[in-house]
Amino acid sequence: MMELKEIKCESCGHVNQPGTQLCQSCGKMINSDYDRKKIKDLMRYDGSAVRSKVRSKSIFDKIWIFFTSIKIGVMIILAIAVAAAIGTIFPQEYFIPLGVDPADYYQENYGTLGYLYYSLGFHNLYSSWWFVLLNGMLALSIIAASIDRGVPLFKSLKNQRAKKHESFYRRQRLFMHEKDNGNADEVISQLKDKRYKARRDGDNYLLEKGKLSRWGPYINHTGLIILLIGSMLRFFPGMYVDEIVYLNEGETKDLPTTDGQYYVKNDGFILDTHGESSGEVFEESLNQGNNIVSNFQTDISVYENESSDVVGAEPELTKIDDYSIRVNHPYRFGSYELYQSSYDDSQMKAMTFSLEDADGNTVGENFTVNLDDPDQSYQIDENTEIKMRAYAPDFQEIDDNGTLVSETPVPRNPAFVFEVNAGGDSELSLLQIMNSTDITQNNDYSIRFVEAEQHTASVLTLKKDHTIPLVAGGFVIFLAGVFIGSYINHRRIWISLEDGFTLAGHTNKNYFGMKKELDTILEANSFSPVSERQEIEDKAKDKES
Amino acid sequence: MESQLVSISSTLLYAAFIIYLVALLPLAASIKSKSNKPGRVSIVMIVAAFIMQLGYFILRWIAQGHAPVSNMYEFITMFAIMLIAGFLITYHYFKTQVFGLFAIPVSLLLVAYGSMFSREVEPLIPALQSNWLAIHVITVTLAYGILSMSAVAGLIYLLKAIPATEKSWRARFLEAIMAGIVIVITFIAATVLMESIIGYQDDFMYTDKQGQTQVAEYHLPSLVNFEGAVPVENVGENNYEEADHFHSGINLPPLIDSQKLNTVLWSVFTGLIVYGIIRLIIRKRLSALIKPITDRADLNLMDEIGYRSVIIGFPIFALGGIFFAAIWAQIAWSRFWGWDPKETWAFITFMFYTIFLHLRLNRGYEGEKSAWLAVIGFLLILFNLIAINLLVAGLHSYA
Repeated sequence: MMELKEIKCESCGHVNQPGTQLCQSCGKMINSDYDRKKIKDLMRYDGSAVRSKVRSKSIFDKIWIFFTSIKIGVMIILAIAVAAAIGTIFPQEYFIPLGVDPADYYQENYGTLGYLYYSLGFHNLYSSWWFVLLNGMLALSIIAASIDRGVPLFKSLKNQRAKKHESFYRRQRLFMHEKDNGNADEVISQLKDKRYKARRDGDNYLLEKGKLSRWGPYINHTGLIILLIGSMLRFFPGMYVDEIVYLNEGETKDLPTTDGQYYVKNDGFILDTHGESSGEVFEESLNQGNNIVSNFQTDISVYENESSDVVGAEPELTKIDDYSIRVNHPYRFGSYELYQSSYDDSQMKAMTFSLEDADGNTVGENFTVNLDDPDQSYQIDENTEIKMRAYAPDFQEIDDNGTLVSETPVPRNPAFVFEVNAGGDSELSLLQIMNSTDITQNNDYSIRFVEAEQHTASVLTLKKDHTIPLVAGGFVIFLAGVFIGSYINHRRIWISLEDGFTLAGHTNKNYFGMKKELDTILEANSFSPVSERQEIEDKAKDKES
Repeated sequence: MESQLVSISSTLLYAAFIIYLVALLPLAASIKSKSNKPGRVSIVMIVAAFIMQLGYFILRWIAQGHAPVSNMYEFITMFAIMLIAGFLITYHYFKTQVFGLFAIPVSLLLVAYGSMFSREVEPLIPALQSNWLAIHVITVTLAYGILSMSAVAGLIYLLKAIPATEKSWRARFLEAIMAGIVIVITFIAATVLMESIIGYQDDFMYTDKQGQTQVAEYHLPSLVNFEGAVPVENVGENNYEEADHFHSGINLPPLIDSQKLNTVLWSVFTGLIVYGIIRLIIRKRLSALIKPITDRADLNLMDEIGYRSVIIGFPIFALGGIFFAAIWAQIAWSRFWGWDPKETWAFITFMFYTIFLHLRLNRGYEGEKSAWLAVIGFLLILFNLIAINLLVAGLHSYA
């Protein structure tokens, strides 16, 4: 590493920061002690002093060097990419069916490898501490590298002088020299027409355009940091809400996390499939018998609770809006959004039964049991009453006391004990799906299942995400930086008329295009084209020497 | 009316296919020829065919009322068209005909492969009913088309720079890529032949992971099959009868998709046999056979094009593949990012090209190393485009 003292340029007398390679005034090489093997293009940071290449004594210097290293940065990116790939070998936990034990699921579906995957925590890879840590290290690397190189580059490009040392000209990849000044003025004026900004210092010219391109990487890195900060904010309370709202048709519920301020009613769930109205062009594919869904929709009424700030008060609902939530058309209100997520028609709403006597004749009218809130007795004709003695919405077993035990309160597998009173002895029978058992002996009557009615519940997702402005804003800045850095070229042309006509060109990329631009103008003014030093051949020469 | 548009559109795509195929002849001639006439003829043909492909795209869009980018057939075809667009853009700037000799065959292979999926026009499911479908997919495929040109430049670079008779790892890897291409071609040829032309089909009934009874339609003779698979024959509707089909007797647990594995095995076996026969006939490496095409290529220019394609393609990919994708995901699925396999592999592709761009800052990564990276990048794109949709179940499985 270099000595930490300022370097005075022998040629022009400018005093340079320690570690500077090309004099920041005249461009002469003042410090040949740089790492030739690693630095491809001295001009990338205009030969300025880059901290990580200058100081290496203290622990801070060493940490700084670690995080500013491009190689380390690349290793971190590679590690993140590989980790991301591992996460797709088997499904992540959030993709496996709800309610199953992940340990069993991975073992059963993917064998020993699956169990290993689960044991290593790869089933929750993207929220694992080490994946988050890798992203944190990436953020540090981006910040350090940007400051390390961006600051000296900014200083260097801000204070450019038009007059450059002769060796600076020869160092550039595009170079030409002729003894005769010829149409030099014409060349300069035509370059200005190509939007080059000219600066003059005696017989020396600096023509420059597209400097913004050099800030591209720093802009995009800033955007990424904002994005990473934004994505971390999700872990702070109040920033992010992701709730499932399960609404049966006709049901009204308060929206979670709104402190009872908002209520939503499901006015009806609609599921449409594609048919003739979708267009005759689809006839062929629809005729194959596959039903293709065309629309999932929940019509909702939105209410605001006027008394939500009064503790314990009854809700006073005022309707504030109507909306039809469809996929791709969420309902927005305040900072919340409601999305159509899925639907559920697996739950039963009501079951209808009929009563038969011993001869198989139907007695009275059919009766319907509302499974959510069943009545205790049903008068099916003048003489006959049916009482519900026990009910389990999700039948599991009959316990020792003879009562029905329900596994869950959800009516999935209902079971009933009915008592039939038709003047004579009352008869008891147990009814389950596909099964009925007489409890009392020698029953005359039997209860028959007629039909069941399903609930159609709509499953909505309630979202609030205050991180979006930062994440999206960060990414927009990132994109702007990437486009600026990629689509604009920073081109500089130095022309000296002090000793004949000397021209050198530098660009941060696309020498092909710049050479074309220069040669067109040079040849139009009867100069010879520029010669290009080839990078790849150059490297071979470096190896030889 | 619309049905006619669909058939005109398909005819345009088919005609374009033939024209590209024919255009390869003058294009190949232009590589050696001193006159620039064959080169010009081929470019005119390619541009004409490209316009016909745009015609396919526009007519199909009008006919079905949504951008033809909604299933595997349309998506792969779109990518194939964008490869040609990438070639034409590169040609416009650098006049590199030799690129066509690589880009066009790859594009044709993709069209052929894509046509093995259902080509019917299908109405959209609710999640795809959005303007973002067209915006997102068109930008992503455009980015893929441009990024692919860096792989073409890289491949030409490698073919020219690596001595074909060299006994080294780099030469072997290059030859392995050639063998891989032969396997892919054999796979496409074999499946088109067996499925579409001969109509070979053996049905097997088996029980899948979830314990449900499934019927697998084998279009290639069964080398491996599902555990407990029974050869059956469809006797109308959903009724099957036991039948007698060729089967090697090797059955694998339901964890592995034996049907896909069977296709892979056939492709690799027959591909390697075809490759072996080619080697026997030409008595040298395949890369040595193709190498002369790249004789006139300028290594520096190839490196420049390879780098510039990534510089131009990467921002478009970030825009279409990440940003537009995230906006749509937020609207349709309520979250802008969810680590779905396809999203994750787009992220990996993004990170890969980030690595490419950063490594270029270091000395020694121009030229050959960049060329290798560019080729790997293309394999990643293909993997995300095709394999993820077929292998991993996720929100992006259209086929």
